[in-house]
Amino acid sequence: MLPFLAWLETSMLGHAMRSSGVWTYGVVNLFHILGVSTLFGAVVVLDLRLLGLWRTVPLPSIAGPTVPVATAGFIVAALTGAGLLATKATEYAGNPFLLIKFPAIAVALVNVAVVTSRPAWKQMERPDPTPGDRRVLAIGGAVSLAAWLTAIGAGRMIGYW
Amino acid sequence: MQTRRSVSMALAAFVMAVLPAAAHHGWSGNSPEEFELTGTVEQPVSLAGPHATMKIRAQGQLWDLTLAPPPRTQAAGLTEKAIPVGAEVKIHGHRNSDPKRFEVKTERVTWNGKTFNVYPDRD
Repeated sequence: MLPFLAWLETSMLGHAMRSSGVWTYGVVNLFHILGVSTLFGAVVVLDLRLLGLWRTVPLPSIAGPTVPVATAGFIVAALTGAGLLATKATEYAGNPFLLIKFPAIAVALVNVAVVTSRPAWKQMERPDPTPGDRRVLAIGGAVSLAAWLTAIGAGRMIGYW
Repeated sequence: MQTRRSVSMALAAFVMAVLPAAAHHGWSGNSPEEFELTGTVEQPVSLAGPHATMKIRAQGQLWDLTLAPPPRTQAAGLTEKAIPVGAEVKIHGHRNSDPKRFEVKTERVTWNGKTFNVYPDRD
Protein backbone atom coordinates (compact mmCIF):
# COMPACT_ATOMS: atom_id res chain seq x y z
CA MET A 1 0.00 0.00 0.00
CA LEU A 2 2.87 2.37 0.80
CA PRO A 3 4.10 2.70 -2.83
CA PHE A 4 0.62 3.72 -3.94
CA LEU A 5 0.31 6.24 -1.11
CA ALA A 6 3.76 7.66 -1.90
CA TRP A 7 2.77 8.01 -5.56
CA LEU A 8 -0.49 9.72 -4.58
CA GLU A 9 1.29 12.14 -2.24
CA THR A 10 3.80 13.19 -4.90
CA SER A 11 1.11 13.46 -7.58
CA MET A 12 -0.07 16.80 -8.93
CA LEU A 13 -3.20 16.46 -6.83
CA GLY A 14 -1.18 16.09 -3.61
CA HIS A 15 1.04 19.00 -4.56
CA ALA A 16 -1.94 21.21 -5.37
CA MET A 17 -3.64 20.34 -2.08
CA ARG A 18 -0.52 21.32 -0.10
CA SER A 19 0.33 24.51 -1.89
CA SER A 20 -2.92 26.26 -2.68
CA GLY A 21 -3.64 28.20 0.49
CA VAL A 22 -4.33 27.52 4.15
CA TRP A 23 -8.11 27.09 3.68
CA THR A 24 -7.91 24.52 0.86
CA TYR A 25 -7.99 21.43 3.05
CA GLY A 26 -10.91 22.73 5.11
CA VAL A 27 -12.98 23.65 2.06
CA VAL A 28 -12.26 20.33 0.30
CA ASN A 29 -13.18 18.59 3.56
CA LEU A 30 -16.47 20.54 3.59
CA PHE A 31 -17.34 19.25 0.12
CA HIS A 32 -16.33 15.73 1.16
CA ILE A 33 -18.86 15.89 4.00
CA LEU A 34 -21.52 17.34 1.69
CA GLY A 35 -20.87 14.51 -0.77
CA VAL A 36 -21.04 11.83 1.92
CA SER A 37 -24.20 13.26 3.48
CA THR A 38 -25.89 13.55 0.08
CA LEU A 39 -24.92 9.96 -0.72
CA PHE A 40 -26.01 8.51 2.60
CA GLY A 41 -29.14 10.62 2.94
CA ALA A 42 -30.41 9.20 -0.36
CA VAL A 43 -29.10 5.67 0.19
CA VAL A 44 -30.69 5.26 3.63
CA VAL A 45 -34.15 6.06 2.24
CA LEU A 46 -33.75 3.59 -0.62
CA ASP A 47 -32.28 0.88 1.61
CA LEU A 48 -35.06 1.15 4.17
CA ARG A 49 -37.62 0.86 1.34
CA LEU A 50 -35.80 -2.25 0.07
CA LEU A 51 -35.89 -3.62 3.64
CA GLY A 52 -39.65 -3.32 3.65
CA LEU A 53 -40.55 0.08 5.05
CA TRP A 54 -43.09 2.30 3.23
CA ARG A 55 -44.38 -0.55 1.05
CA THR A 56 -47.35 1.61 0.05
CA VAL A 57 -44.95 3.84 -1.91
CA PRO A 58 -44.03 2.14 -5.22
CA LEU A 59 -40.31 1.28 -5.42
CA PRO A 60 -39.78 3.23 -8.69
CA SER A 61 -41.08 6.38 -6.95
CA ILE A 62 -38.29 6.06 -4.37
CA ALA A 63 -35.53 4.63 -6.58
CA GLY A 64 -36.17 7.35 -9.18
CA PRO A 65 -34.95 10.30 -7.10
CA THR A 66 -32.60 8.51 -4.65
CA VAL A 67 -30.35 6.71 -7.15
CA PRO A 68 -29.16 9.81 -9.07
CA VAL A 69 -28.81 11.85 -5.84
CA ALA A 70 -26.74 9.08 -4.23
CA THR A 71 -24.61 8.75 -7.37
CA ALA A 72 -23.91 12.49 -7.45
CA GLY A 73 -23.02 12.45 -3.75
CA PHE A 74 -20.67 9.52 -4.28
CA ILE A 75 -18.84 11.25 -7.14
CA VAL A 76 -18.33 14.44 -5.08
CA ALA A 77 -17.18 12.41 -2.06
CA ALA A 78 -14.77 10.28 -4.12
CA LEU A 79 -13.14 13.24 -5.90
CA THR A 80 -12.71 15.34 -2.76
CA GLY A 81 -11.64 12.26 -0.78
CA ALA A 82 -8.81 11.64 -3.22
CA GLY A 83 -7.62 15.20 -2.55
CA LEU A 84 -7.79 14.84 1.23
CA LEU A 85 -5.88 11.55 1.14
CA ALA A 86 -3.28 12.85 -1.32
CA THR A 87 -2.39 15.80 0.95
CA LYS A 88 -0.33 13.61 3.32
CA ALA A 89 -1.04 10.15 1.90
CA THR A 90 1.97 8.36 3.41
CA GLU A 91 0.92 9.38 6.92
CA TYR A 92 -2.11 7.12 6.57
CA ALA A 93 -0.05 3.99 5.89
CA GLY A 94 -0.97 1.49 8.59
CA ASN A 95 -4.08 3.41 9.65
CA PRO A 96 -6.50 0.56 10.48
CA PHE A 97 -9.59 2.64 9.71
CA LEU A 98 -8.42 3.15 6.12
CA LEU A 99 -8.18 -0.62 5.80
CA ILE A 100 -11.79 -0.93 6.96
CA LYS A 101 -13.14 2.00 4.95
CA PHE A 102 -11.98 1.13 1.44
CA PRO A 103 -13.00 -2.55 1.49
CA ALA A 104 -16.39 -1.42 2.86
CA ILE A 105 -16.78 0.99 -0.08
CA ALA A 106 -15.80 -1.85 -2.44
CA VAL A 107 -18.47 -4.10 -0.89
CA ALA A 108 -21.06 -1.32 -1.23
CA LEU A 109 -20.23 -0.76 -4.92
CA VAL A 110 -20.21 -4.49 -5.74
CA ASN A 111 -23.57 -4.70 -3.97
CA VAL A 112 -24.93 -1.94 -6.24
CA ALA A 113 -23.76 -3.86 -9.30
CA VAL A 114 -25.24 -7.14 -8.05
CA VAL A 115 -28.62 -5.76 -6.94
CA THR A 116 -29.22 -3.64 -10.02
CA SER A 117 -28.45 -6.61 -12.31
CA ARG A 118 -31.08 -8.84 -10.66
CA PRO A 119 -34.56 -9.30 -12.17
CA ALA A 120 -36.06 -8.19 -8.85
CA TRP A 121 -34.58 -4.71 -9.43
CA LYS A 122 -34.92 -4.58 -13.21
CA GLN A 123 -38.61 -5.43 -13.02
CA MET A 124 -39.40 -3.18 -10.09
CA GLU A 125 -42.37 -1.69 -11.99
CA ARG A 126 -44.34 -4.93 -11.44
CA PRO A 127 -47.25 -4.32 -9.06
CA ASP A 128 -46.83 -7.55 -7.08
CA PRO A 129 -43.22 -8.66 -6.54
CA THR A 130 -42.75 -12.29 -5.46
CA PRO A 131 -41.52 -13.07 -1.93
CA GLY A 132 -38.25 -14.18 -3.54
CA ASP A 133 -37.81 -10.80 -5.24
CA ARG A 134 -38.57 -9.02 -2.00
CA ARG A 135 -35.96 -11.08 -0.22
CA VAL A 136 -33.32 -10.30 -2.86
CA LEU A 137 -34.03 -6.57 -2.57
CA ALA A 138 -34.11 -6.70 1.25
CA ILE A 139 -30.72 -8.42 1.38
CA GLY A 140 -29.34 -5.81 -1.02
CA GLY A 141 -30.69 -3.01 1.19
CA ALA A 142 -29.24 -4.57 4.33
CA VAL A 143 -25.79 -5.10 2.79
CA SER A 144 -25.84 -1.53 1.45
CA LEU A 145 -26.78 -0.02 4.81
CA ALA A 146 -24.15 -2.07 6.67
CA ALA A 147 -21.42 -1.32 4.11
CA TRP A 148 -22.03 2.42 3.92
CA LEU A 149 -22.34 2.78 7.71
CA THR A 150 -19.05 0.89 8.09
CA ALA A 151 -17.35 3.04 5.45
CA ILE A 152 -18.60 6.30 6.99
CA GLY A 153 -17.87 5.19 10.56
CA ALA A 154 -14.34 4.08 9.71
CA GLY A 155 -13.80 7.18 7.58
CA ARG A 156 -14.75 9.47 10.45
CA MET A 157 -12.27 7.66 12.72
CA ILE A 158 -9.24 7.94 10.38
CA GLY A 159 -8.25 11.29 11.86
CA TYR A 160 -8.47 10.05 15.42
CA TRP A 161 -5.91 7.28 15.04
CA MET B 1 -42.17 -4.47 12.30
CA GLN B 2 -39.32 -6.89 12.84
CA THR B 3 -37.40 -5.18 10.08
CA ARG B 4 -38.00 -1.82 11.65
CA ARG B 5 -36.75 -3.02 15.03
CA SER B 6 -33.59 -4.60 13.62
CA VAL B 7 -32.80 -1.46 11.63
CA SER B 8 -33.14 0.81 14.66
CA MET B 9 -31.05 -1.59 16.75
CA ALA B 10 -28.33 -1.57 14.12
CA LEU B 11 -28.34 2.24 14.09
CA ALA B 12 -28.18 2.38 17.91
CA ALA B 13 -25.26 -0.07 17.96
CA PHE B 14 -23.42 2.06 15.39
CA VAL B 15 -23.89 5.26 17.39
CA MET B 16 -22.70 3.59 20.59
CA ALA B 17 -19.65 2.16 18.84
CA VAL B 18 -18.64 5.58 17.53
CA LEU B 19 -19.22 7.76 20.59
CA PRO B 20 -16.37 6.53 22.86
CA ALA B 21 -13.91 6.79 19.98
CA ALA B 22 -14.89 10.43 19.48
CA ALA B 23 -13.47 11.10 22.96
CA HIS B 24 -10.02 10.90 21.36
CA HIS B 25 -10.68 14.16 19.61
CA GLY B 26 -7.97 16.74 20.16
CA TRP B 27 -5.43 16.23 22.89
CA SER B 28 -6.27 12.97 24.60
CA GLY B 29 -3.79 11.01 22.45
CA ASN B 30 -1.06 13.13 24.03
CA SER B 31 0.39 13.23 27.51
CA PRO B 32 -1.25 15.80 29.83
CA GLU B 33 2.22 16.85 31.05
CA GLU B 34 3.71 20.03 29.63
CA PHE B 35 6.68 19.11 27.43
CA GLU B 36 9.58 21.26 26.23
CA LEU B 37 12.29 20.47 23.74
CA THR B 38 15.14 22.36 22.08
CA GLY B 39 16.36 21.29 18.67
CA THR B 40 17.22 22.37 15.15
CA VAL B 41 14.73 22.72 12.33
CA GLU B 42 15.11 19.88 9.84
CA GLN B 43 11.96 20.47 7.80
CA PRO B 44 10.36 23.93 7.79
CA VAL B 45 6.72 24.65 8.58
CA SER B 46 4.22 23.11 6.18
CA LEU B 47 0.80 24.77 6.10
CA ALA B 48 -0.89 21.75 4.50
CA GLY B 49 -4.00 20.37 6.19
CA PRO B 50 -5.41 19.03 8.37
CA HIS B 51 -2.70 20.30 10.74
CA ALA B 52 0.39 22.36 10.00
CA THR B 53 3.61 20.46 10.72
CA MET B 54 7.36 20.83 11.02
CA LYS B 55 10.25 18.54 11.95
CA ILE B 56 13.10 19.23 14.35
CA ARG B 57 16.13 17.20 15.40
CA ALA B 58 16.65 16.96 19.16
CA GLN B 59 18.25 14.43 21.52
CA GLY B 60 19.46 12.47 18.48
CA GLN B 61 15.92 11.96 17.21
CA LEU B 62 13.78 13.42 14.44
CA TRP B 63 10.62 14.85 16.01
CA ASP B 64 7.33 15.42 14.25
CA LEU B 65 5.71 18.62 15.46
CA THR B 66 1.96 18.81 14.96
CA LEU B 67 0.90 22.45 14.98
CA ALA B 68 -2.57 24.05 14.82
CA PRO B 69 -4.76 23.83 11.69
CA PRO B 70 -3.20 25.82 8.80
CA PRO B 71 -5.24 29.07 9.07
CA ARG B 72 -4.60 29.31 12.81
CA THR B 73 -0.89 28.55 12.46
CA GLN B 74 -0.56 31.21 9.77
CA ALA B 75 -2.46 33.71 11.93
CA ALA B 76 0.14 33.16 14.66
CA GLY B 77 2.80 34.26 12.16
CA LEU B 78 4.24 30.78 11.76
CA THR B 79 4.49 30.48 7.99
CA GLU B 80 6.73 28.40 5.70
CA LYS B 81 9.40 31.12 5.68
CA ALA B 82 9.15 32.23 9.33
CA ILE B 83 11.99 30.00 10.60
CA PRO B 84 14.91 28.82 8.42
CA VAL B 85 16.14 25.22 8.28
CA GLY B 86 18.96 24.63 10.77
CA ALA B 87 17.73 27.28 13.20
CA GLU B 88 17.65 26.35 16.88
CA VAL B 89 14.13 26.46 18.28
CA LYS B 90 12.51 25.77 21.61
CA ILE B 91 9.09 24.19 21.51
CA HIS B 92 6.38 23.72 24.11
CA GLY B 93 3.49 21.28 23.92
CA HIS B 94 2.35 17.77 24.72
CA ARG B 95 4.21 14.66 23.71
CA ASN B 96 2.44 11.70 22.12
CA SER B 97 1.34 9.28 24.85
CA ASP B 98 3.13 6.48 23.00
CA PRO B 99 6.78 6.77 24.18
CA LYS B 100 7.98 5.07 20.99
CA ARG B 101 6.60 7.92 18.89
CA PHE B 102 8.59 11.12 18.67
CA GLU B 103 5.66 13.42 18.04
CA VAL B 104 4.69 16.56 19.91
CA LYS B 105 1.38 18.37 19.59
CA THR B 106 2.96 21.79 19.74
CA GLU B 107 1.46 24.93 21.26
CA ARG B 108 4.40 27.33 21.01
CA VAL B 109 7.59 27.61 18.99
CA THR B 110 10.28 30.08 20.10
CA TRP B 111 13.10 31.16 17.83
CA ASN B 112 15.46 34.09 18.00
CA GLY B 113 13.59 35.67 20.91
CA LYS B 114 10.28 35.46 19.09
CA THR B 115 7.45 33.18 20.20
CA PHE B 116 4.88 31.83 17.76
CA ASN B 117 1.88 30.88 19.87
CA VAL B 118 -0.47 28.75 17.75
CA TYR B 119 -2.70 27.87 20.73
CA PRO B 120 -2.82 31.12 22.76
CA ASP B 121 -5.75 29.82 24.85
CA ARG B 122 -3.71 26.86 26.18
CA ASP B 123 -0.97 26.73 28.86
